[in-house]
Amino acid sequence: MSLPSIKTLLAVWLGKGIACVNRTLGRGGTSLPGMAALKVDPALIKKLVSQHRQVIVVTGTNGKTTTNNILAGILIRAGYRVAWNRAGANMKSGIATALIENTSLLGKARTSTALLEVDEATVPLVLADLQPAIMVVTNFFRDQLDRYGELDKTVALIAEGAKKIPGLKLILNADDPLVASLAQRTGRDSYFYGVAASRWVSRVPEQVREGCHCPFCSHCLEYAYYHFSQLGNYRCPQCGFSRPPVHWEAVDPDMAPGITFYLQEKEERWRLSLPLEGYYNLYNVLAAAAAARFMGIDQKIVAEAVRTYTPQTGRMEEFNIGGKRVLLVLVKNPAGFNQVLRSLLLKEGPLNMVIAINDLDADGKDVSWLWDVNFEMLAKAPVGKIICTGLRGADMAVRLKYAGIPEEKLRIIDDREEAVEEGLNLIGPGETLYVLPTYTNLFPMSKILSSRQGKRK
Amino acid sequence: MEIKIAYLYSHQLNLYGDRGNIIALCRRAEWRGIRPVVVEIGLGEKADLKEYDFIFLGGGSDREQQIITADLLRYKGHSLVEAVEEGTALLSICGGYQLLGQFYRTATGEEIKGIGLFNAYTVAGKGRLIGNIVIETEIDGFKRMVVGFENHSGRTYLGAGVKPMGRVLAGYGNNGEDGFEGAVYKKAWGTYLHGPLLPKNPFLADLLLRQALEKRYGPVELVPLKDGLETLTHERIVERFGKKKKKLFAGILSKI
Repeated sequence: MSLPSIKTLLAVWLGKGIACVNRTLGRGGTSLPGMAALKVDPALIKKLVSQHRQVIVVTGTNGKTTTNNILAGILIRAGYRVAWNRAGANMKSGIATALIENTSLLGKARTSTALLEVDEATVPLVLADLQPAIMVVTNFFRDQLDRYGELDKTVALIAEGAKKIPGLKLILNADDPLVASLAQRTGRDSYFYGVAASRWVSRVPEQVREGCHCPFCSHCLEYAYYHFSQLGNYRCPQCGFSRPPVHWEAVDPDMAPGITFYLQEKEERWRLSLPLEGYYNLYNVLAAAAAARFMGIDQKIVAEAVRTYTPQTGRMEEFNIGGKRVLLVLVKNPAGFNQVLRSLLLKEGPLNMVIAINDLDADGKDVSWLWDVNFEMLAKAPVGKIICTGLRGADMAVRLKYAGIPEEKLRIIDDREEAVEEGLNLIGPGETLYVLPTYTNLFPMSKILSSRQGKRK
Repeated sequence: MEIKIAYLYSHQLNLYGDRGNIIALCRRAEWRGIRPVVVEIGLGEKADLKEYDFIFLGGGSDREQQIITADLLRYKGHSLVEAVEEGTALLSICGGYQLLGQFYRTATGEEIKGIGLFNAYTVAGKGRLIGNIVIETEIDGFKRMVVGFENHSGRTYLGAGVKPMGRVLAGYGNNGEDGFEGAVYKKAWGTYLHGPLLPKNPFLADLLLRQALEKRYGPVELVPLKDGLETLTHERIVERFGKKKKKLFAGILSKI
């Protein structure tokens, strides 16, 4: 291998320096080191990633971070040395940060596999540099549209990018028509995963459905059943496009407590358990298991890594503050928020929540999406109080009012720490407070909760 | 009393939380003892829109918009124009607004015919106009600020006989050039302020509600509602985004 250029070395050193300062100050910044390093050497990602034997990309709207982290856990257990962006910083800067972290001071990669979660709008920009062998796609929901324009365009750009990578293998969600359409649109070898019909499916659609039209002929798709949003068993009556046959199917899922299901592979069927909640996480573990099996990793290793998975910040992270339970869950778009609400409705006892909505770049500047979330389902639930915070806390409160939540159950508290404090006052020992932040509220909230947890110990 | 609302193409034109406007109108009617009746009218369905007090069209992606334009011209356009001429109130947003104009000229120069309710036309532009927007408009003789969020690549230009909805204080508006936003013809409103426009601007919601009820009941006085949360949200947006960006330097100075 040729020696790294001075520019590359400077970039790596700068990135490492900033990361070190960040750590010392206790900040969770996962973009800044990469951002600064890319200023010094714009070709840094390509230079660092090309030192890896294989590159795997995980993209889609929801579930990227969880899928990526579960897969990382499996690969590590199987003996791979993996560089991955674990905290979900998935634009160019976050990718660079993850790579720098796993590079020596001499500019040499210490890892041989790069497992990168990539923001769906960033995929077209970095695919040529990454030259991945495998790309896993989770789903395409409406998300932070103000950055991207519309969904159709994003998917078209990803397809264009994938077409240009020779030998790329796609691991696709068969239940999402937009994702499944990538097989034909790119002409790349594609392998599908999906969830079988069970007692969890519904015959009627939800209000929010992104891919109502056939991706090929625009005719309205017909569904035998829905899982949620546009995920389900679909068929186009006009051109015949339909849910493709799957290589890996989740069968007989059981949701409480934790997720348990059988993975059907050809004639074989084996059991997987994941200590997470929420139907959407079934898709995440399925996607990760499918990719691992595609890579030839042993069933036992997959099952064991999945069983011992621990969630990252905000992916159903749990805190214990003086006997009171706090669950921190990231919310970022209608499909995800609906899923979170639905899983909360399965719980017993009054629902007390802190919802923190921001409108910065990483959250999406347009908060209109709050009106596509089906908060109406809370109107009949045993809601205690809902505290709204963040830059757009007032918008959140208005949305809840129009969803039919009585105004006396709503409070706006701008200061995040005060909002959490007030939330904790609402509940008794053994009860649960749900804290639901958008992206830029996630790490501050996590920090507040960690320090409150620490104090009581 | 009741208000009969035609919600056109609810499955296709539902981008960015546009249904928030229907929710807001219904709730604000219910809170006053007025019964809202919402009828969703989809692709391929014929409807006599003159029977309705209020018509709503939201925004959609480009692909959906082409399907809708064809359907509108074929099944509903004529009836929609008649309804507005006879006093039905209407709100159209973004894509819905564009296809009520004379035509939409795409980037390749192709002209897609609209139904011509508004004497206005739209041209595809380079780059999207995206961001928070605040406009000033006059309602019942009072100057009011209307807040929202816009995200469109089409540039709309108004012709004779149609008034803008307001003057842009911050943001782009119809085309980012002439400083105007939206269109008003009789009781039909078109605007680029997408998503939940009405709950963020409760006075506008009530104006539309009054205009809709007038058709059957004559002039109506609406009981005032407790709008504390709505007003707070509105004020915060005006405060954060209502000023032009040229004051950046002054902003920095004031912080020192």
